[in-house]
Amino acid sequence: MGISLTIDGQKVNVPAGTTVLQAAQLIGIDIPTFCFEKDLTAPGACRICVVEIEGIRNMPASCVTAVCEGMVVHTDSPAVREARKTILELLVANHPLDCMTCEKSGKCKLQDYAYRYGVGSTPYGGDKHEYPLDDSNPYITRDLNKCILCGKCVATCNAIPERSVINFAYRGFNTKIATAMDEDLKDSDCVYCNRCVAVCPVGAITDKTMAGKGRHWEIEKKQMTCTFCDAGCRFDVNYKDGKVIGVTANAASPGRPLCLKGRLGTGFVNNPELTEQPLIKKDGGFVTVPWQEALGISPIIEKINTLKK
Amino acid sequence: MAEVTLTIDGKKVTVPAGTTVLEAAGGIGAFIPTLCHDPELSKPGACRICVVEIEGMRNLPASCVTAVSEGMVVHTASPAVVDARRTIIDLLLASHPEDCMTCQKFGNCKLADYAYYYGVKKTSFEGERHADPVDDSSAVIFRDTNKCILCGKCVRVCEEIVGRHVVDFTYRGFNTKVGPAYLMGLGEKETGCVNCGSCIAVCPVGALTEKNMGGKARPWEVKKVKTTCPYCGCGCNFDLNVKDGKVVGVTSNPSSEVNGRHLCVKGRFGYDFIHSSDRLTKPLIKKDGDFVEVSWDEAFNYVAARFKEIKEKSGSEAMGVLTSARCTNEENYLMNKIARVAFGTNNIDHCARL
Repeated sequence: MGISLTIDGQKVNVPAGTTVLQAAQLIGIDIPTFCFEKDLTAPGACRICVVEIEGIRNMPASCVTAVCEGMVVHTDSPAVREARKTILELLVANHPLDCMTCEKSGKCKLQDYAYRYGVGSTPYGGDKHEYPLDDSNPYITRDLNKCILCGKCVATCNAIPERSVINFAYRGFNTKIATAMDEDLKDSDCVYCNRCVAVCPVGAITDKTMAGKGRHWEIEKKQMTCTFCDAGCRFDVNYKDGKVIGVTANAASPGRPLCLKGRLGTGFVNNPELTEQPLIKKDGGFVTVPWQEALGISPIIEKINTLKK
Repeated sequence: MAEVTLTIDGKKVTVPAGTTVLEAAGGIGAFIPTLCHDPELSKPGACRICVVEIEGMRNLPASCVTAVSEGMVVHTASPAVVDARRTIIDLLLASHPEDCMTCQKFGNCKLADYAYYYGVKKTSFEGERHADPVDDSSAVIFRDTNKCILCGKCVRVCEEIVGRHVVDFTYRGFNTKVGPAYLMGLGEKETGCVNCGSCIAVCPVGALTEKNMGGKARPWEVKKVKTTCPYCGCGCNFDLNVKDGKVVGVTSNPSSEVNGRHLCVKGRFGYDFIHSSDRLTKPLIKKDGDFVEVSWDEAFNYVAARFKEIKEKSGSEAMGVLTSARCTNEENYLMNKIARVAFGTNNIDHCARL
């Protein structure tokens, strides 16, 4: 026995406890989300997923609203569109407009929704953050000026108790995501697992090793299983023009998505010194030899061959 | 033809005399950016983004207008070249809107591509910026001259290929602007614009865009499906831009043998019928005064039976066939067969002959 409700005129039956967002997704309705992540606790913070529900006084966030019998939901009514537009205008009010060179362009939720709802600029003038860029480490670039405070990086990092490297700091306009004592990432307990990179919906946390190497729409992804240990992590190898430019996690969870070896160990694929033939050092220099010789199995092969005759 | 051997980025290359350095570099896969250059149009050598270093030459020449010569040694990506290109992009960005977030061209914009490639994050030149009103007057072409980099490709394609010469440069210096006579809106009848959209096909930035594609899809979201235009017998090809199974627009496909990137207003902009709710996708037969949806079998049987009836009653000469220029040659051939063989009449004509 499920719960029956109507979303945008379509009847849908779902188990009790399902959220309006999940029910809408089931019938192919795309409700925008920033702070919602399937495998993390929903904070209902960003409000971009608001919908109109008949009989409810204001617009609830669909990611934290459970369905109930006979509910009538409108996910794209004029009031909903207007609310989402205002949320986007408020976010853009304090967001750098450097999509032209931003690493996240093409895969940025803020950009996608601004385009979808026609938010080309913001009507709100005012203070803008001018945080220095944290590129103190070789793996992750943090640009807090682009952060929309969705908190997904905090949630995914805190899902691993011994890590819990980042959290919200300060209040109001000054709220930011920070490490303990607001230090650079290099001085924290961060192990650069890139879980935060995988969930960040904007360009605030990006993979430094891929910077400048390709735009998202130029990249072709192929799923592979990591060869460095037997854990069997799956990841996407990113190719541009046939060359490996980096590795990204498939998903942020469950567990640690990728260790540094898995993510950075792809460099050898393009190594010009990569050899396809075995080499043996003879008279001080490496000489290409057949596999039989390198493996020392020439006598065995010879024996097998005589036996065959 | 005489041949010339030169060295580009350490690679020897032999090309016919008269080849440009840009073409020779393209032949060996060396990347040189271009903004004003177009292989189909005359070469103004205006934008300078394609500059290269040639040993023995005093300054950096534009490779699109520099012919190769024997023994030339070219560097396409030396520090001096990269530095010059960065400065050019920096200067272009000095008066370019920062709205890539929602710009229709983004993802297919040469200025954004090169800014990313050369790492020019923002301009270092502060100063006046253009604040022209956008030209929304045309039914199909959206013009935002604030984004124009004055490459002049729209001017040349309109004059040299389309033969209309609707737009050209006006004013001087910082105020230079591309537009129709008296800077009328492109939608004004007096401009002579035939809405072919060839200017959109060559524009390297977001200054000229397809108005009806605005807000519908980003270039990286669309699947391009090459197809042949159904409007006339020319057989022009273009790409249908498909997002989530719906056609959101038409863009040129440079590999089209008949038309290249050029299309008429019908081919480029006349696609809204595809998803029109008024479109008939099932045959209808009038029964008791009302149109009723029927199967194709029933419709064909009905038509064939009626033709037979007319032929038996009034003879072959009572029938005639008028075919359409929207049909393919093969379809017109079949109509000819139906008229002469099935109907038994020579009463066949074609609308394009009228």
